[in-house]
Amino acid sequence: MLRKSSVSIAKDRVKALVVSDRVHCTPDVYDNICRELYSSLSKYIELTEDDFQVNIKRTQVVITFAGEEV
Amino acid sequence: MGEVIVITSGKGGVGKTTTTANLGAGLSKLDQKVVVIDTDLGLRNLDVVMGLENLIVYNLVDVIEGTCRLKQALIRDKRYENLYLLPSAQTKDKTAISPGQMKKLTSELRDEFDYILLDCPAGIEQGFMNAIAGADRAIIVTTPEVSAIRDADRIIGLLENNKLKQMDLIINRIRIDMVKRGDMMTVDDVTEILSVPLIGALPDDEQVVIGTNQGEPVIGLDSRAGTAYMNICKRIMGNEVPFMELTNNTGFLSRITGLFKKD
Repeated sequence: MLRKSSVSIAKDRVKALVVSDRVHCTPDVYDNICRELYSSLSKYIELTEDDFQVNIKRTQVVITFAGEEV
Repeated sequence: MGEVIVITSGKGGVGKTTTTANLGAGLSKLDQKVVVIDTDLGLRNLDVVMGLENLIVYNLVDVIEGTCRLKQALIRDKRYENLYLLPSAQTKDKTAISPGQMKKLTSELRDEFDYILLDCPAGIEQGFMNAIAGADRAIIVTTPEVSAIRDADRIIGLLENNKLKQMDLIINRIRIDMVKRGDMMTVDDVTEILSVPLIGALPDDEQVVIGTNQGEPVIGLDSRAGTAYMNICKRIMGNEVPFMELTNNTGFLSRITGLFKKD
């Protein structure tokens, strides 16, 4: 009854695949990239993990925090 | 000056050839002079989907090698005004032609035709490079499946590197019943991941199978897919056509937000 919809699984999987294809790395490495970017940026900018996000687009890496794109 | 459009996907079996055949037929119905070219050397299919397989004398490789004149190899589709097919060679492979030769061929065809549609082979190897060499724009075909979307993303990356002017997305074989159940990604899910403008969303329609069985483009039949293909043709020509009602989600909230969404 309370089955997780297969769409949410599919979306998570395809997003992970697309990101690792775009930067030629495994999903683990992507997680590490995000973690390290966060730890270095947080030295200079006040931010929390909630409002920090790394988006890997096909042509650029976009770091988003506090709702603003940099 | 005609426009060269490559229909590509990365993954095989998502509907490139069917899409090429239908867009070709549709554009010619809209009074455009169209040539569709099968660039999949060694695996000739477009002629079969269009029902023109018995009329082939010369093919793409013959034209490029100079065995025949371009006009001799073009097959006119009698059911449509101004629709021509340049078939692929069944006995050659992808190395028989080069990107430079394809570019030269498409530029010759520009003088004669309004639209030159290239049916691209699956994969990202030389066949793909040949097909995109002379193209101004690309139509990427995908289905709402993990592997098809992943491959589409790679293809889009390669197309961006090759500086194509314009890229548009077709999402094929959408099963509305499954989308409603939460077992198939929605049009919005797919466009969000690929971030390429949507030019068409096609329902999974039995009529497409029936059409290919008969070698008849579905655009000529009364069907939802036929209407969707016709709308895509109009959008290719630059007309604004509202998207068909393909209910993404039946949830109350999404229906309300849907009212305010422009897509």
